[in-house]
Amino acid sequence: MIFVYLISGLFLGWSLGANDTGNIFGAAVETRMLRFKKAALIAAIFISLGAILEGSGPSQTLGRLGSVDALGGAFTVALSAAAAITVMVRFRIPVSTSQTIVGAIIGWNFFSGRLTDYNSLLTIASSWVIAFVLSAAIAALLFYIFRARINKSKMHLLEQDFYTRNALILVGAFGAYSLGANNIANVVGVFVPVTPFKDLSIGGLFVLDGVQQLYILGAMSIVVGIYTYSKKVMRTVGRDLLHLSPMTALIALLAEAIVLFLFASRWLYNTLLALGLPTIPLVPVSSTQVIVGAVVGIGLVKGGKNLKLNILSKISLGWIVAPLMAFLFSFIALFIFQNVFEQEVRKDLRYSFNSVTISELRARDIKVDPLSLVNGRSFNSEMEVYRQLKETHGYSREEMFEVLSVVEVYPLKVNSSLLYDKGLQKRFSPDQLESVKSLEDKSYRYKWRLKQALSGKPGWNFIEDPATEQERNHNTQLEAALSILYRSFYFIES
Amino acid sequence: MALLLKTTKFIESQIDAFLDIVSDSATLFHLAMEDYLKDRIGQFEERLSQIRENEQKADDLRVGIERFLYERTLIPENRGDVLAILENTDEVIDNIKDSILQFSIEMPQIPEELDDLWMQTTRASVNAVDQLTFAVRSFFRDLPAVNNYIHKVYFFEREADQIGEKLRRHIFSLDIELSRKSQLRFFAIHIEKISDYAQAVCDRLAIYAIKRQL
Repeated sequence: MIFVYLISGLFLGWSLGANDTGNIFGAAVETRMLRFKKAALIAAIFISLGAILEGSGPSQTLGRLGSVDALGGAFTVALSAAAAITVMVRFRIPVSTSQTIVGAIIGWNFFSGRLTDYNSLLTIASSWVIAFVLSAAIAALLFYIFRARINKSKMHLLEQDFYTRNALILVGAFGAYSLGANNIANVVGVFVPVTPFKDLSIGGLFVLDGVQQLYILGAMSIVVGIYTYSKKVMRTVGRDLLHLSPMTALIALLAEAIVLFLFASRWLYNTLLALGLPTIPLVPVSSTQVIVGAVVGIGLVKGGKNLKLNILSKISLGWIVAPLMAFLFSFIALFIFQNVFEQEVRKDLRYSFNSVTISELRARDIKVDPLSLVNGRSFNSEMEVYRQLKETHGYSREEMFEVLSVVEVYPLKVNSSLLYDKGLQKRFSPDQLESVKSLEDKSYRYKWRLKQALSGKPGWNFIEDPATEQERNHNTQLEAALSILYRSFYFIES
Repeated sequence: MALLLKTTKFIESQIDAFLDIVSDSATLFHLAMEDYLKDRIGQFEERLSQIRENEQKADDLRVGIERFLYERTLIPENRGDVLAILENTDEVIDNIKDSILQFSIEMPQIPEELDDLWMQTTRASVNAVDQLTFAVRSFFRDLPAVNNYIHKVYFFEREADQIGEKLRRHIFSLDIELSRKSQLRFFAIHIEKISDYAQAVCDRLAIYAIKRQL
């Protein structure tokens, strides 16, 4: 069954290859600086390298939005997002894969009665606008700098061609590498804890573990997407929106790389923080919106006459339509999948208010007096808890999420051999593994119980009230490791 | 890096060599006219054979450059424009050769009182071609300078037209047979035409320069 589920992840990979490669190589191909086959080959190599060498585990980027907890649900969410992206690519509209996935996940949240974290959604949505504007501004600035430098350097047209071509390849390869590293988690990340692949020895030289094989498969699906369907979007980015010259194509690509770096670089974030300067939020931004922003920026400094506003409005409309479409697809598909095919699309979690959870809430400084009415009661969905608490008490949304994370019943049984079976042990330090083994066969009803059991043990030192970004990062890493344990050790209570 | 740029540098040198030949051919045309007017026919014929050689070399270089640009898909955005510039500039050499060849075949008798105007027209046309080569070189290396050179080409073309007109009026004011007047007018127009060709290349070059602007 896992192989059937995996198909939707691969379909998402295929649509991602078809959609996102245009952002990296569209301009270079459409200005004929690179032949499509060559661009596709470079993209294929570097996306695969990025995915295999630097691909992270289950997607962290979407945070709480991406908490789809059943394989059937993940299958449907990926399928819906992929279908929405494919429809848009069919119309030659480049869309944001992340936004489309968010749309599909919200569809799952609605279907499963889960609470959607509007704060995360708002942060991500505002970053989309900021990234677009910032990218346009950077591209405009680069345009002026390049023009002044080129006029001053008196470089021969052919030398310019040589440097531009190679820079397009270099920046494109770097972009492809980042695309692979950042997006492979969206494609197959959800299958990491349940990878069906065993360790594979390649001629006795090296061993590919289950996760690496999963990533290779995901990368291959992206590559197939590039070769079979990416040409359409390339034309929109590189030619339809604004006729780019090779040099302006390079400027757009550089602006894209800079903006993606600004929004993803932890190093820059820490440096700005250390200097007491305002920081740029570390949130995922859409490469599609960034490249379109860059092209628009160049079009505007060139007078704006060549900018095809009808194409721009078509693309902008696509950015709204794609997540909505994914939301609808997801909601309808989940209904069909659950009721017609009788598959589990969400875990039947319970939310229990009892002495244990209420004391834990008290320990976390959350007002518990208003909970006396629900003490001793269990709820079947987050929305039920939300409605109940919203009607009677004045909890903020943040507090509501804190309450939910405590009262969620999530039975776990520590079984470290499960980690070894899937090759997941490589994602933990030896200290961390030893600590996990020390809890072998123990059961916990709540996620936070396992966390408490591990806290303080070697490799699991959470920092309370982290003050610096490094400390916050340390905790985030530990949370990511914990989430693998949660997904691996979950069992259904009889 | 130098190794990576080898092909690029090679084509650059080929383009420069091509433009050198255009410039040389214009200078040879000027010298050939002087020789002809001074009755140094042997030397004139030598100039003709040098211009013929140049024309052949220019053709070979142009074809070689075109093949290189296409085979290696270089400057895709400007390739068509560059090829058009080279082909049109090549026509200027063809025109220079045709003019001199026509002199060699018909050997028109040019009255001495026309020498000064004849050479002035020749100089204006040759200057137009020289400025054209500067404009084309700038198109490759120094785009903002292209318009200055194009402006000069237009200036010399107008100069050639004006002096050419004077020359033709002078021809028809002479007391010689009408057939001779006709023949001399034909040659005067031939010389003026050289600057017209240079101007035609510049008309296109001006558009290509706008297209090349970032």
